[in-house]
Amino acid sequence: MKLIIAVIKPFKIDEVTDALNEIGISGITISEVRGHGRQKGHTEVYRGAEYHIAYIPKLRLELVVDDADADRIVTAIMDNARTGTIGDGKFWILPIETLGRIRTGELGSDAL
Amino acid sequence: MSRAKKVFLLALVTLVAMIVIGQVGHHADPGGTKTGNVSDYLAATGQSKVTLSQQGINRLANETGHLRISINFTWLLITGFLVLFMQVGFALLVTGLTRAKNAGHMMMMNLSSFVIALLAYYAIGFAFQFGGVAPVANIGGAGPLSSLIGHGNAGLLGLHGFFLQTGNTYDVGVMAFFLFQVVFMETAGYIIIGAIAERVTFAGFIFAEIAMGAVIYPIYGMWVWGGGWLAHLGQSLDLGHGAVDFAGSGVVHATGGWAALALAIILGPRIGKYRKDGSVRAFPGHNLGYVVLGTLVLTFGWMGFNPGSTFGATDLRIAVVAVNTLLAASAGAVTAMAWTNAKWGKPDISMSCNGMLAGLVAITAPCAFVAPWASIVIGMIAGFLVCYSVGWFDNVFKVDDPCGAISVHGMCGLWGVLAVGLFADGTYGQLWNGVPGTVKGLFYGDGGQLVAQVISAVVGFIWAWGVTYLIFIVIRRWVKLRVDPDVEIAGLDEAEFGQFCYPDFVLRAETDLGVTHELDAPSGTTPTGDGTTVGAS
Repeated sequence: MKLIIAVIKPFKIDEVTDALNEIGISGITISEVRGHGRQKGHTEVYRGAEYHIAYIPKLRLELVVDDADADRIVTAIMDNARTGTIGDGKFWILPIETLGRIRTGELGSDAL
Repeated sequence: MSRAKKVFLLALVTLVAMIVIGQVGHHADPGGTKTGNVSDYLAATGQSKVTLSQQGINRLANETGHLRISINFTWLLITGFLVLFMQVGFALLVTGLTRAKNAGHMMMMNLSSFVIALLAYYAIGFAFQFGGVAPVANIGGAGPLSSLIGHGNAGLLGLHGFFLQTGNTYDVGVMAFFLFQVVFMETAGYIIIGAIAERVTFAGFIFAEIAMGAVIYPIYGMWVWGGGWLAHLGQSLDLGHGAVDFAGSGVVHATGGWAALALAIILGPRIGKYRKDGSVRAFPGHNLGYVVLGTLVLTFGWMGFNPGSTFGATDLRIAVVAVNTLLAASAGAVTAMAWTNAKWGKPDISMSCNGMLAGLVAITAPCAFVAPWASIVIGMIAGFLVCYSVGWFDNVFKVDDPCGAISVHGMCGLWGVLAVGLFADGTYGQLWNGVPGTVKGLFYGDGGQLVAQVISAVVGFIWAWGVTYLIFIVIRRWVKLRVDPDVEIAGLDEAEFGQFCYPDFVLRAETDLGVTHELDAPSGTTPTGDGTTVGAS
């Protein structure tokens, strides 16, 4: 099993959700986060004085999936979260040591 | 039957029933043309018919006079309530323009500015300002307000009406006048909040409000509005109609703005406002929605502020006043919107609001004396003025004014006073300040009026700025005026009141300024946010 983590532009979440449901994922966790990449935020003007917005709001997606599904899911996220401009986000994949379902105590793929 | 069908049937039955009910009985006076006639007059005066005699005519004239004053009382009180509502607008405006960590403090200052300054004005200020203003014809004379210090054309201070009691001032005319005037004083009182926000102590603020309500506002107000020496410059020195300030660009707004300037200088800038190289760091306001709502509420309240200043609805110039006020407000907002868009690439929301208020402040003095086209010009110039002025105070004078109060109320108030002396077109103001003829500005042939306006504006600045500055460099020996740096960084809500405006949210303290390590600096110094400290001013 793999843990997929992706950081995307918040307004892209509906398209990504639709694509993932089409594939048939079992669950997803999202959280509102802020951060920056190589541009290190951007500058705006407020009442004539410049100010720096260092951390841009993003959504962070976390999914645990079977090894075989990981590629398809990552592709779906990439295709649907992409705008082609800077700040589209990143994803990364980690191996999972253990997965358990709290309600039943099932472990491994059964808990997906 | 389904529920939807039942509802539909019920609606149909109601419709039929309403049509049937509508046919029952006579229509008494649905158009309103027959209600209010001679029978009401006879009932009110206890007569059976109008008698054709001197006595009968006198009764009729008495009733007419009473009616006239009643209409004017209604107008004066309702417009006074509108001005009172401006307090809501100002609370929203200044709270929205500051940071969430200080929102409770901002709101509490708005509440307390109202109640404290009101009591100070009741006890002392009103008598100082209007103790010798009588007669005020539109509200029946206000006869008890008849005593002042100063001889002839050189009135200095009113004397009747302390605690609304001395000099027999327990009187309906005086009360109506007090209500209208006290809400004007409140306006000057809450202007200062915008400039001292996010760093003043609550205790220091209370002293500022007492000074404003009892001394700073009333005394200059007496000179212009209460029969004082500036109002009589026309009679004493032949300068037009003397100082003319219809609804208070100078008396209310510039006074508040200049007092705010003095306090902002004494307090010094907020921690982190200026970087080490002197450049300005922006502290974006936490709720621009509040700012826009506040501006619109203020504009609505201004429909009382300016038109109400006739003291009566029997003066039909109120229509011109109201229209001029809206024209200048819109011209100011459009100008600021366009200017910020041209200068910074995007229209600035809070500066557009400031532009609207700038137009309103500037038209407040001339609104009754100028034509609609002149209102547009006055509003536009105010819109430019406020944009440049915010930059000047930020970058040139280095005075930290979080809400632009000094620029909006001080600078544009000053401009409004001068605008009377330029654009007054001679269609209004017969016998204003006791001078025969109507009020004319320089462009209509009376340069003397402009001189009177300049004198009034200069005296207003010296008085409001100077007296405030003097009072507070003395008071700060005993009263702590500025909060400690750690309190300022954490936000004033908890340290000053033990409560938060937004307790359910994690608020951002200015840790990103890098000032926390400077808090160990020797007392009497203020962190700058750049690894340097400056002496507290």
